[in-house]
Amino acid sequence: MNTRQLLHPLLWLTLAVGLLAMLYGAADLYRIQANNALISRLVSGRDVEVEPVIGGPFELRLARAYYLKNKHRYDEALATLSLVIDHGDAAQRARSRYNLGNLYLEQAIAHAETMDIAAALPLAGLAKQAYRQSLALDSRQWDAKYNLEAAMRLLPEMDRISPDDEDETVQQKTQLWTTVPGFPRGLP
Amino acid sequence: MKRLLILTPLLLLGCSGAPEEALIRFEVETPRPFGYVIGDEIREKILIETRSGITLNTASLPAEGPLNRWLNLNRVEVEQDGQRYRIDLRYQVFYAPLTVRTLTLPGFTLQFGSGGSAFNKEIPPWRFTMSPLRDLAVKSAEGGASIRPDSLPPQLDTRQAMILITAGSGAAAAAAGALTFLYGYFPALRRRTLFKQALKRLSRIPEKDMAEALRTVHRALNALNRQPLYQRQLAGFYEAHPEYRRLDSQLNWFFNYSNHYFFSRNVSATALDRQKLTALCQACRQIERGSR
Repeated sequence: MNTRQLLHPLLWLTLAVGLLAMLYGAADLYRIQANNALISRLVSGRDVEVEPVIGGPFELRLARAYYLKNKHRYDEALATLSLVIDHGDAAQRARSRYNLGNLYLEQAIAHAETMDIAAALPLAGLAKQAYRQSLALDSRQWDAKYNLEAAMRLLPEMDRISPDDEDETVQQKTQLWTTVPGFPRGLP
Repeated sequence: MKRLLILTPLLLLGCSGAPEEALIRFEVETPRPFGYVIGDEIREKILIETRSGITLNTASLPAEGPLNRWLNLNRVEVEQDGQRYRIDLRYQVFYAPLTVRTLTLPGFTLQFGSGGSAFNKEIPPWRFTMSPLRDLAVKSAEGGASIRPDSLPPQLDTRQAMILITAGSGAAAAAAGALTFLYGYFPALRRRTLFKQALKRLSRIPEKDMAEALRTVHRALNALNRQPLYQRQLAGFYEAHPEYRRLDSQLNWFFNYSNHYFFSRNVSATALDRQKLTALCQACRQIERGSR
């Protein structure tokens, strides 16, 4: 008898909750579609208002960084990308770092082509670091592997293995020094 | 007995000097030794089973982090199951060879302890070859350097919103349907099962309680007619529900019998009457269902 009395209020409650969930989901979907339209616009190379990008989800900033880089506005792209470099799951973080590596590597190549080796070297180093971090997060990215190799070739072959280097006589103390993260984040 | 006591330390000494006897099983599993490119992960597995009382000193495992300029140790996992150890090492190589080139994963020394004494076991270095991914020249023949393009920024995921909408609308529709039924907005549904319900009730009424059985059938007929149905109104009833006309004789018998039962004296119900009543109800049910 008790369950019978409960049935009606429960049904009304289910109806109300279901309707609320549906409305909330619809509002959510509408917002997501609007943001996706912005992302598509940025990817296709058209600029959008900055306001929604600042208030929006991190994917919008990723798309804006992509747009800025394609327009060769490297400094702005770096500023935008570095804000969201640690957002998302591991696969997304790996892709963000790969894009960061591309950002550095493209500038390094541009400098190298004008024989400005002093400017190219630190940029290539930063690119290598970004690619290595990306591959540590997800080792199946062929694009990151390919570009890392390009970045390593760009530098003079300092990384070539000498016969002593192959020995396992890497001392704990010297290893400690090489593991200290010495690269500053961002442009020098 | 005394001799045994003297022998025991000697035996223990023998054990600590000979790790082969202290370790029941010692295997190093390595993957294929060729075809690696920059950024690949290499997994090395070490399976060890020790005699009881002997433990692996996990501090002797290499530490996670960079081992040298081109080699990272990303993860070290040790699973212990009693006297069995399973060590999972994940290296990652960041070497850009110009041609196919042989490299070496460094070996290390595992330490085991047994009571006061300890012994070592070498993990041998492992050699493998790496291959380059691209041509020697950084720049392509056309002049521009060729690198792979950026990964496209992801679109936002709509799955969660879609699930919310689907679940919400499903729950709301189910609740709305149930409420509509309970508030009687589906009269057709109810009215199509009048005799089904009557039959169900009839089967529950005891054989002797003829009065209740008759009332049940009366109630079903009244509900179908939307007002009390008497024998003299049967003609009108048939006009509204012509499919019941073929039960005319049975229905007339029912009303006559009911009149006698309720308004005459000394009428006793027999099992045969009850059977006829049930047969009438079943016939009505068949018509109601549309199968007759």
